[in-house]
Amino acid sequence: MNPDKAAELEQMRRQLQVFANDLRHIVGEERRLREETEMAFRELQQAYQDMVRTLAVSAEMKDQYTSGHLDRTYQFALALTRRVAPELTQEPTLGFGYLLHDVGKVLIPDSILNKPGPLDDDEWEIMASHPLRGFELVKPLRLLGDAALVIRSHHERWDGRGYPDGLAGEEIYLPARIFTVCDTFDAMTTDRPYRKALSIDDALHEIDRHAGTQFDPDVAREFVALCEERRPVNTEELAFVR
Amino acid sequence: MGDARRVLIVDDDPIILDIVTTVLDLEDFSVTTAEDGETALELVAKEPPDVMVLDVMMPGMSGLEVCAKLRSSEEHARLPIVLLTARDTDEDRRAGMDAGADYYLSKPFSPLELIDIIEELLSVKP
Repeated sequence: MNPDKAAELEQMRRQLQVFANDLRHIVGEERRLREETEMAFRELQQAYQDMVRTLAVSAEMKDQYTSGHLDRTYQFALALTRRVAPELTQEPTLGFGYLLHDVGKVLIPDSILNKPGPLDDDEWEIMASHPLRGFELVKPLRLLGDAALVIRSHHERWDGRGYPDGLAGEEIYLPARIFTVCDTFDAMTTDRPYRKALSIDDALHEIDRHAGTQFDPDVAREFVALCEERRPVNTEELAFVR
Repeated sequence: MGDARRVLIVDDDPIILDIVTTVLDLEDFSVTTAEDGETALELVAKEPPDVMVLDVMMPGMSGLEVCAKLRSSEEHARLPIVLLTARDTDEDRRAGMDAGADYYLSKPFSPLELIDIIEELLSVKP
Protein backbone atom coordinates (compact mmCIF):
# COMPACT_ATOMS: atom_id res chain seq x y z
CA MET A 1 0.00 0.00 0.00
CA ASN A 2 1.40 3.40 -0.82
CA PRO A 3 2.12 5.71 2.10
CA ASP A 4 -0.48 8.32 1.07
CA LYS A 5 -3.23 5.74 0.97
CA ALA A 6 -2.11 4.36 4.33
CA ALA A 7 -2.15 7.83 5.90
CA GLU A 8 -5.60 8.50 4.49
CA LEU A 9 -6.94 5.25 5.89
CA GLU A 10 -5.38 5.96 9.26
CA GLN A 11 -6.99 9.38 9.27
CA MET A 12 -10.38 7.88 8.41
CA ARG A 13 -9.95 5.28 11.15
CA ARG A 14 -9.29 7.96 13.73
CA GLN A 15 -12.23 10.00 12.49
CA LEU A 16 -14.53 6.99 12.79
CA GLN A 17 -13.34 6.44 16.35
CA VAL A 18 -14.34 9.97 17.23
CA PHE A 19 -17.73 9.48 15.56
CA ALA A 20 -18.22 6.25 17.48
CA ASN A 21 -17.45 8.10 20.71
CA ASP A 22 -20.02 10.75 19.84
CA LEU A 23 -22.52 8.03 19.15
CA ARG A 24 -21.85 6.43 22.52
CA HIS A 25 -22.33 9.80 24.16
CA ILE A 26 -25.62 10.43 22.33
CA VAL A 27 -26.99 6.99 23.14
CA GLY A 28 -26.01 7.35 26.79
CA GLU A 29 -27.70 10.73 26.95
CA GLU A 30 -30.87 9.33 25.34
CA ARG A 31 -30.94 6.49 27.84
CA ARG A 32 -30.53 8.89 30.75
CA LEU A 33 -33.34 11.07 29.42
CA ARG A 34 -35.59 8.07 28.95
CA GLU A 35 -34.96 6.90 32.49
CA GLU A 36 -35.67 10.39 33.80
CA THR A 37 -38.90 10.52 31.82
CA GLU A 38 -40.00 7.13 33.05
CA MET A 39 -39.27 8.08 36.62
CA ALA A 40 -41.16 11.36 36.26
CA PHE A 41 -44.07 9.41 34.79
CA ARG A 42 -44.12 6.98 37.70
CA GLU A 43 -43.96 9.85 40.17
CA LEU A 44 -46.80 11.59 38.40
CA GLN A 45 -48.89 8.44 38.48
CA GLN A 46 -48.18 7.98 42.17
CA ALA A 47 -49.05 11.60 42.86
CA TYR A 48 -52.29 11.19 40.97
CA GLN A 49 -53.12 8.04 42.87
CA ASP A 50 -52.40 9.79 46.17
CA MET A 51 -54.69 12.66 45.22
CA VAL A 52 -57.45 10.30 44.15
CA ARG A 53 -57.13 8.32 47.36
CA THR A 54 -57.25 11.48 49.46
CA LEU A 55 -60.40 12.57 47.69
CA ALA A 56 -61.94 9.11 48.12
CA VAL A 57 -61.03 8.97 51.80
CA SER A 58 -62.56 12.39 52.42
CA ALA A 59 -65.87 10.97 51.15
CA GLU A 60 -65.49 7.82 53.21
CA MET A 61 -64.74 9.75 56.39
CA LYS A 62 -68.08 11.53 56.17
CA ASP A 63 -69.82 8.19 56.39
CA GLN A 64 -69.22 6.87 59.90
CA TYR A 65 -70.50 3.36 59.19
CA THR A 66 -68.25 2.51 56.31
CA SER A 67 -64.81 2.33 57.85
CA GLY A 68 -62.54 0.09 55.77
CA HIS A 69 -65.19 -0.21 53.09
CA LEU A 70 -63.13 1.74 50.58
CA ASP A 71 -60.07 -0.49 50.64
CA ARG A 72 -62.04 -3.72 50.77
CA THR A 73 -64.29 -2.89 47.83
CA TYR A 74 -61.26 -1.62 45.91
CA GLN A 75 -59.44 -4.92 46.43
CA PHE A 76 -62.57 -7.00 45.74
CA ALA A 77 -63.29 -5.09 42.55
CA LEU A 78 -59.73 -5.26 41.21
CA ALA A 79 -59.56 -9.00 41.90
CA LEU A 80 -62.91 -9.58 40.22
CA THR A 81 -61.95 -7.40 37.24
CA ARG A 82 -58.76 -9.40 36.76
CA ARG A 83 -60.96 -12.48 36.59
CA VAL A 84 -63.81 -11.16 34.44
CA ALA A 85 -62.03 -8.69 32.15
CA PRO A 86 -58.25 -8.81 32.71
CA GLU A 87 -57.62 -6.40 29.82
CA LEU A 88 -59.33 -3.64 31.81
CA THR A 89 -56.75 -3.82 34.59
CA GLN A 90 -53.96 -2.60 32.29
CA GLU A 91 -54.92 1.00 33.01
CA PRO A 92 -54.56 2.31 36.57
CA THR A 93 -57.45 4.70 35.98
CA LEU A 94 -60.05 1.99 36.50
CA GLY A 95 -58.81 1.54 40.07
CA PHE A 96 -59.26 5.29 40.52
CA GLY A 97 -62.90 4.88 39.49
CA TYR A 98 -63.34 2.13 42.10
CA LEU A 99 -61.72 4.25 44.82
CA LEU A 100 -63.89 7.24 43.96
CA HIS A 101 -67.19 5.37 43.63
CA ASP A 102 -68.81 7.19 46.56
CA VAL A 103 -67.08 10.55 46.13
CA GLY A 104 -70.50 12.13 45.57
CA LYS A 105 -71.20 11.60 49.27
CA VAL A 106 -69.09 14.64 50.08
CA LEU A 107 -72.06 16.59 48.70
CA ILE A 108 -74.69 14.77 50.82
CA PRO A 109 -75.55 16.38 54.18
CA ASP A 110 -74.26 14.49 57.23
CA SER A 111 -77.78 14.51 58.71
CA ILE A 112 -78.94 12.27 55.87
CA LEU A 113 -75.75 10.27 55.43
CA ASN A 114 -75.62 9.26 59.09
CA LYS A 115 -79.28 9.26 59.99
CA PRO A 116 -79.90 6.42 62.47
CA GLY A 117 -83.40 5.57 61.22
CA PRO A 118 -84.86 5.00 57.76
CA LEU A 119 -84.81 7.90 55.28
CA ASP A 120 -88.03 9.59 54.18
CA ASP A 121 -88.72 10.08 50.46
CA ASP A 122 -87.07 13.50 50.20
CA GLU A 123 -84.01 12.34 52.09
CA TRP A 124 -83.81 9.22 49.98
CA GLU A 125 -83.91 11.31 46.82
CA ILE A 126 -80.97 13.37 48.04
CA MET A 127 -79.08 10.25 49.11
CA ALA A 128 -79.70 8.62 45.73
CA SER A 129 -78.24 11.63 43.94
CA HIS A 130 -74.70 10.77 45.05
CA PRO A 131 -73.71 8.77 41.93
CA LEU A 132 -74.65 11.60 39.59
CA ARG A 133 -73.22 14.29 41.85
CA GLY A 134 -69.98 12.32 42.15
CA PHE A 135 -69.83 11.88 38.38
CA GLU A 136 -70.29 15.64 37.89
CA LEU A 137 -67.69 16.36 40.57
CA VAL A 138 -64.94 14.34 38.85
CA LYS A 139 -65.77 15.54 35.34
CA PRO A 140 -62.77 17.90 35.24
CA LEU A 141 -60.46 14.92 35.94
CA ARG A 142 -60.20 13.99 32.28
CA LEU A 143 -57.62 11.31 32.98
CA LEU A 144 -60.34 9.20 34.62
CA GLY A 145 -62.01 8.64 31.26
CA ASP A 146 -64.57 5.82 31.33
CA ALA A 147 -63.63 4.98 34.91
CA ALA A 148 -65.89 7.89 35.92
CA LEU A 149 -68.80 5.68 34.82
CA VAL A 150 -68.16 3.47 37.85
CA ILE A 151 -69.10 6.46 39.98
CA ARG A 152 -72.21 7.17 37.93
CA SER A 153 -73.45 3.62 37.45
CA HIS A 154 -72.55 1.64 40.56
CA HIS A 155 -76.19 1.67 41.71
CA GLU A 156 -77.65 0.53 38.41
CA ARG A 157 -79.29 -2.91 38.35
CA TRP A 158 -79.10 -5.63 35.70
CA ASP A 159 -82.93 -5.62 35.44
CA GLY A 160 -83.01 -1.86 34.80
CA ARG A 161 -84.55 -0.89 38.13
CA GLY A 162 -81.48 0.88 39.50
CA TYR A 163 -80.45 4.54 39.45
CA PRO A 164 -79.63 7.19 38.29
CA ASP A 165 -80.15 6.28 34.62
CA GLY A 166 -82.20 3.07 34.86
CA LEU A 167 -79.78 1.31 32.50
CA ALA A 168 -80.19 -2.45 32.04
CA GLY A 169 -77.98 -5.42 31.17
CA GLU A 170 -74.90 -4.64 29.12
CA GLU A 171 -75.90 -0.99 28.78
CA ILE A 172 -74.27 -0.68 32.18
CA TYR A 173 -70.49 -0.19 32.03
CA LEU A 174 -68.94 -3.56 32.90
CA PRO A 175 -66.72 -2.28 35.74
CA ALA A 176 -69.81 -0.71 37.30
CA ARG A 177 -71.55 -4.12 37.14
CA ILE A 178 -68.46 -5.61 38.76
CA PHE A 179 -68.31 -2.97 41.42
CA THR A 180 -71.93 -3.14 42.44
CA VAL A 181 -71.54 -6.83 43.40
CA CYS A 182 -68.47 -6.07 45.51
CA ASP A 183 -70.11 -3.04 47.07
CA THR A 184 -73.27 -4.92 48.03
CA PHE A 185 -71.32 -7.89 49.38
CA ASP A 186 -69.19 -5.62 51.57
CA ALA A 187 -72.28 -3.81 52.86
CA MET A 188 -73.93 -7.10 53.76
CA THR A 189 -70.91 -8.48 55.59
CA THR A 190 -70.39 -5.34 57.69
CA ASP A 191 -72.26 -4.46 60.90
CA ARG A 192 -74.70 -1.58 60.45
CA PRO A 193 -76.54 0.29 63.21
CA TYR A 194 -79.83 -1.27 62.17
CA ARG A 195 -78.60 -4.86 61.62
CA LYS A 196 -75.78 -7.27 62.27
CA ALA A 197 -73.45 -8.37 59.52
CA LEU A 198 -74.40 -11.42 57.50
CA SER A 199 -72.03 -14.38 57.46
CA ILE A 200 -69.98 -14.79 54.29
CA ASP A 201 -72.02 -17.86 53.34
CA ASP A 202 -75.32 -16.02 53.74
CA ALA A 203 -74.01 -13.01 51.84
CA LEU A 204 -72.76 -15.15 48.97
CA HIS A 205 -76.11 -16.87 48.93
CA GLU A 206 -77.79 -13.46 48.61
CA ILE A 207 -75.48 -12.50 45.74
CA ASP A 208 -76.36 -15.73 44.00
CA ARG A 209 -80.08 -15.25 44.64
CA HIS A 210 -80.02 -11.80 42.99
CA ALA A 211 -77.96 -12.84 39.99
CA GLY A 212 -79.91 -11.91 36.88
CA THR A 213 -82.08 -9.35 38.66
CA GLN A 214 -79.87 -6.99 40.65
CA PHE A 215 -76.56 -8.32 39.30
CA ASP A 216 -75.06 -9.36 36.00
CA PRO A 217 -75.39 -13.16 36.34
CA ASP A 218 -71.91 -13.86 34.90
CA VAL A 219 -70.27 -11.34 37.18
CA ALA A 220 -72.19 -12.62 40.21
CA ARG A 221 -71.18 -16.22 39.45
CA GLU A 222 -67.52 -15.22 39.09
CA PHE A 223 -67.67 -13.28 42.34
CA VAL A 224 -69.00 -16.27 44.26
CA ALA A 225 -66.35 -18.51 42.69
CA LEU A 226 -63.62 -15.98 43.52
CA CYS A 227 -64.70 -15.82 47.16
CA GLU A 228 -64.82 -19.59 47.46
CA GLU A 229 -61.27 -19.76 46.10
CA ARG A 230 -59.89 -17.06 48.33
CA ARG A 231 -61.46 -18.31 51.53
CA PRO A 232 -59.60 -20.79 53.69
CA VAL A 233 -61.91 -23.53 55.01
CA ASN A 234 -64.10 -22.68 58.02
CA THR A 235 -63.08 -19.08 58.47
CA GLU A 236 -64.86 -15.82 58.09
CA GLU A 237 -61.85 -14.18 56.50
CA LEU A 238 -61.37 -13.48 52.81
CA ALA A 239 -57.87 -13.05 51.55
CA PHE A 240 -57.79 -10.30 48.98
CA VAL A 241 -54.16 -9.49 49.03
CA ARG A 242 -53.05 -8.10 45.72
CA MET B 1 -36.82 30.65 16.80
CA GLY B 2 -38.24 31.18 13.33
CA ASP B 3 -36.87 29.33 10.30
CA ALA B 4 -34.38 26.50 10.76
CA ARG B 5 -30.80 27.70 11.07
CA ARG B 6 -28.98 26.98 7.84
CA VAL B 7 -25.52 25.42 7.79
CA LEU B 8 -23.38 24.95 4.70
CA ILE B 9 -20.80 22.16 4.97
CA VAL B 10 -17.96 21.98 2.50
CA ASP B 11 -15.72 18.90 2.38
CA ASP B 12 -14.38 16.80 -0.48
CA ASP B 13 -15.02 13.62 1.53
CA PRO B 14 -18.66 12.51 1.04
CA ILE B 15 -18.50 10.30 4.14
CA ILE B 16 -17.74 13.31 6.33
CA LEU B 17 -20.58 15.22 4.64
CA ASP B 18 -23.01 12.36 5.28
CA ILE B 19 -22.17 11.97 8.93
CA VAL B 20 -22.09 15.66 9.77
CA THR B 21 -25.36 16.19 7.90
CA THR B 22 -27.01 13.38 9.86
CA VAL B 23 -25.90 14.77 13.21
CA LEU B 24 -26.87 18.36 12.36
CA ASP B 25 -30.25 17.16 11.07
CA LEU B 26 -30.89 15.64 14.48
CA GLU B 27 -30.38 19.08 15.99
CA ASP B 28 -32.88 20.59 13.53
CA PHE B 29 -30.36 22.47 11.46
CA SER B 30 -31.11 22.85 7.77
CA VAL B 31 -28.00 21.49 6.05
CA THR B 32 -26.62 22.14 2.59
CA THR B 33 -23.43 20.50 1.34
CA ALA B 34 -20.78 21.16 -1.27
CA GLU B 35 -17.78 19.02 -2.26
CA ASP B 36 -15.53 21.83 -3.45
CA GLY B 37 -14.80 25.48 -2.84
CA GLU B 38 -16.15 26.80 -6.14
CA THR B 39 -19.56 25.20 -5.61
CA ALA B 40 -19.56 26.51 -2.05
CA LEU B 41 -19.06 30.10 -3.20
CA GLU B 42 -21.90 29.74 -5.70
CA LEU B 43 -24.20 28.43 -2.98
CA VAL B 44 -23.27 31.27 -0.63
CA ALA B 45 -23.99 33.80 -3.34
CA LYS B 46 -27.37 32.25 -4.09
CA GLU B 47 -28.54 31.71 -0.54
CA PRO B 48 -26.19 32.72 2.26
CA PRO B 49 -26.21 30.26 5.21
CA ASP B 50 -26.14 31.25 8.87
CA VAL B 51 -22.92 29.31 9.43
CA MET B 52 -20.35 27.72 7.16
CA VAL B 53 -18.17 24.67 7.95
CA LEU B 54 -15.20 24.52 5.63
CA ASP B 55 -12.59 21.82 5.08
CA VAL B 56 -9.13 23.33 4.48
CA MET B 57 -7.58 20.69 2.25
CA MET B 58 -9.65 20.25 -0.86
CA PRO B 59 -8.71 19.76 -4.52
CA GLY B 60 -9.05 23.02 -6.45
CA MET B 61 -9.75 26.01 -4.18
CA SER B 62 -8.58 25.38 -0.63
CA GLY B 63 -10.73 26.21 2.35
CA LEU B 64 -8.34 29.03 3.25
CA GLU B 65 -8.87 30.60 -0.15
CA VAL B 66 -12.65 30.30 0.08
CA CYS B 67 -12.54 31.85 3.54
CA ALA B 68 -10.34 34.74 2.46
CA LYS B 69 -12.50 35.39 -0.58
CA LEU B 70 -15.66 35.60 1.49
CA ARG B 71 -14.01 37.88 4.04
CA SER B 72 -12.93 40.29 1.34
CA SER B 73 -16.45 40.52 -0.02
CA GLU B 74 -18.84 43.16 1.22
CA GLU B 75 -21.85 41.05 2.13
CA HIS B 76 -20.19 37.94 3.62
CA ALA B 77 -17.46 39.58 5.66
CA ARG B 78 -19.20 38.57 8.89
CA LEU B 79 -20.48 35.10 7.92
CA PRO B 80 -19.44 32.76 10.77
CA ILE B 81 -16.95 30.20 9.43
CA VAL B 82 -15.54 27.06 11.08
CA LEU B 83 -12.44 25.62 9.43
CA LEU B 84 -11.79 21.86 9.48
CA THR B 85 -8.26 20.63 8.97
CA ALA B 86 -6.29 17.40 9.17
CA ARG B 87 -3.20 19.28 10.24
CA ASP B 88 -3.03 20.90 13.60
CA THR B 89 0.00 23.10 14.04
CA ASP B 90 0.28 26.64 15.35
CA GLU B 91 1.21 27.72 11.87
CA ASP B 92 -1.93 26.20 10.35
CA ARG B 93 -4.02 27.72 13.05
CA ARG B 94 -2.56 31.14 12.38
CA ALA B 95 -3.11 30.72 8.65
CA GLY B 96 -6.74 29.91 9.38
CA MET B 97 -7.20 32.90 11.61
CA ASP B 98 -5.41 35.11 9.12
CA ALA B 99 -7.87 33.98 6.48
CA GLY B 100 -10.59 35.26 8.79
CA ALA B 101 -12.10 32.04 10.24
CA ASP B 102 -14.08 32.29 13.49
CA TYR B 103 -13.09 28.83 14.66
CA TYR B 104 -10.51 26.23 13.82
CA LEU B 105 -11.35 22.56 14.41
CA SER B 106 -8.82 19.82 13.72
CA LYS B 107 -9.64 16.40 12.31
CA PRO B 108 -10.56 13.94 13.59
CA PHE B 109 -13.33 16.12 14.96
CA SER B 110 -16.38 15.41 17.04
CA PRO B 111 -19.68 16.37 15.40
CA LEU B 112 -21.06 17.08 18.87
CA GLU B 113 -18.25 19.54 19.49
CA LEU B 114 -18.98 21.07 16.08
CA ILE B 115 -22.62 21.55 17.11
CA ASP B 116 -21.52 23.32 20.31
CA ILE B 117 -19.27 25.60 18.26
CA ILE B 118 -22.03 26.37 15.75
CA GLU B 119 -24.49 27.11 18.55
CA GLU B 120 -21.99 29.44 20.15
CA LEU B 121 -21.25 31.26 16.89
CA LEU B 122 -24.96 31.70 16.21
CA SER B 123 -25.67 33.00 19.70
CA VAL B 124 -23.08 35.80 19.45
CA LYS B 125 -24.15 36.74 15.95
CA PRO B 126 -25.41 40.33 16.02
